[in-house]
Amino acid sequence: MSDDAEPEDRPRPPPGALAGLGLGALGLLRAGVELQGVARRTVYWSIRGRRARGVVLRQCLEVGNRSVFFVSVTMGFIGMILVFQSGLQLLRAVPDLQMMGATFLEALVRDLAASLTALMLATRVGAGIAAEIGSMVVTEQVDALRMSGVDPVNHLVVPRFLASLVMTGVLIVWAGAVSFFAGCATAYFMFGVAPRTFLNPMLVDGGDLLTGLTKCLAYGAAIPVVSGWCGLSTFGGSEGVGWATTRAVVNSSLAVIILNFFISGASFLVFPP
Amino acid sequence: MASPTDRSSPPREESLAEELGREVLSVAAQAGGMTVLALRLLRRLFPPRVDGPELLRNLHKMGVRSLPIVGVTALFTGAIMVIQAGVLIRRYGADGLLGWGAGFAILREVGPILIALMFSGRVGANTTAELGTMTVTEQIDALSTLAIDPLSYLVLPRVLAMVAMLFILTIYGDALALVGAAFTGQGLLGIGARTFFNGLVEMVKAWDLINGLIKSVGFGVIIAVASTYYGLSVTGGAPGVGRAVNAGVVASATGIFITDYFSTYILR
Repeated sequence: MSDDAEPEDRPRPPPGALAGLGLGALGLLRAGVELQGVARRTVYWSIRGRRARGVVLRQCLEVGNRSVFFVSVTMGFIGMILVFQSGLQLLRAVPDLQMMGATFLEALVRDLAASLTALMLATRVGAGIAAEIGSMVVTEQVDALRMSGVDPVNHLVVPRFLASLVMTGVLIVWAGAVSFFAGCATAYFMFGVAPRTFLNPMLVDGGDLLTGLTKCLAYGAAIPVVSGWCGLSTFGGSEGVGWATTRAVVNSSLAVIILNFFISGASFLVFPP
Repeated sequence: MASPTDRSSPPREESLAEELGREVLSVAAQAGGMTVLALRLLRRLFPPRVDGPELLRNLHKMGVRSLPIVGVTALFTGAIMVIQAGVLIRRYGADGLLGWGAGFAILREVGPILIALMFSGRVGANTTAELGTMTVTEQIDALSTLAIDPLSYLVLPRVLAMVAMLFILTIYGDALALVGAAFTGQGLLGIGARTFFNGLVEMVKAWDLINGLIKSVGFGVIIAVASTYYGLSVTGGAPGVGRAVNAGVVASATGIFITDYFSTYILR
C-alpha cells in the first residue's frame, strides 16, 4: 500500500534502486503486519468486547444516514451514465434494447451496486473514520484510553466496524435501487424503452445474489478496519491527521478494488456462466 | 406540543425545512466559493503568474509518486472489467467481442473515472491536508503579509500540476488496464491476447480514447479546485484539517460523476 505518511519535503539521502525496493518491501510488510493486527483485534473485540448501549447505533447514524445523500447522488448519476453509454453501444451492435434492463440489473446485483457504492463509502466513511481517530491520536486521547487499560481498537474501531457491517449492506441495496431507477428513467426518455420491459429480473440468479452479498459484507468489513488502522497510526500534528485521512481514502479504495478482483474471480469460477 | 417540563431540555430540534434550508445554503456557499476560487485562478493565468520551481516540485510529487497506486488500480480494474464482460461473452459465445466490450468500457468510462477517484484520494486529499495545515498554522496569512500572492505561489502551481498529471496518468493507467485485461482474458477465459487486441483495434475508435482523455482533464480541474478550496477554508486545528480532507474528497467524487454525466451527453 502507499507510504504517503512521510513528510515529503524532508531532505534524505537518495537510496539506490535496490535499497529503495527493499525499503518499499519492508514498509509494505510492516503495514501488512500492523493491518492484520488491527483486523484480528477488531474481530476478537467484536465477539468478546462489551460496549455501552447506543454506541453502535450512533455510528450507524454517522456511517449510514449521513452518507445517504452523497451515495444517492453519485449512484443516480452512475445509473444514468451507464444506461446511456451502453444503450448507444448496444444500438451499434444489435437493433433492439429488450434485454438492456435485464443485463443492467444483473450487472448491478453482481458487481456495480456493491463495488461503486463501496468506493464512494471508502471515500466518505473511510476519510471520516481516519480523520476522527487521527484527531484523537494527535490530541493524545488515544494514549489516555490506553493508559486507562482500554484497547483503542475495542473502543474506537469496533463500533464503527459493526455499524459499517450493517449499514454498508443497507446502503448498497438502497444505492443499487436508486441507480436502477435512474437508469430506468434514462432508458425511457432517451431510448423509449418502457419501464415494464426494463424492469426484468430474468437474468439475476442465486449466484449473482450471493456474489453481491459477499461483496457487501467484505467491503463493509474492510473499510472501517483499513481506515481505523490508518487513523490509529497517525503521528505529528494537524499535518499528520491530513496524511492519515489521505492514506485511509487511498488504502480503503484499493482494498475495495482488490477484494472486488478476488471475489469476482472466485464467483466466475464457482458459478460459471 | 412542548410541555412545560421540557423547558430544561437542550434547544428545540430543528424542523425539516430549517435543516433542509441550511443544507442547501451551505452547498450553495461551497459551490460559490469554488467558482470564485476558480475565477481568481483563471485570472492569474493571463498572463501566467506561476511560481516555476513550485510547479516543478508539484509535478514530480503528484505525478511520479502516484505511479504505483495508479498502476495497481489500473491493472486490477482491467482484470475486473474482463471478469464482468466475461459472463456476457461466455453467454453469447462471442470471443472476438471481448476486446471491444472491455476495451471500450476501460477507455471511455471506467479507466478515467477510477484513476480520477484514486488521484483524488491520493493527491487531492494530500493537497487539502497540506494547504489546510498551512492555513491553520497561519502560514498563508504570513505569505500575504510578505506581499507574496498565495494563489500564484501555492495554489496555482498545484492546480496546474494536478490537471496535467491526471491527464498523463490516465494515459498510463489506460495502457496498464488494457494489459491487465489482456492477461485476465488469457488466464480466466482462455481468450488469447491476440484475439483481445484484434477486437480492440477493430471495434474501438480513436475517438473513444480521446473522449476519455478529455474527460480526465475535466476531472482534473474539478479535483484541483475542490481540494484547494477546502484546504484554504479550513478552520479549527487538527480536527478541522481532517474534516476538510473528508469534505474535499466527497466534493471531488460528486463533482467527478456530475461532470462525467454531462460530458457523456456532450461528447457522444
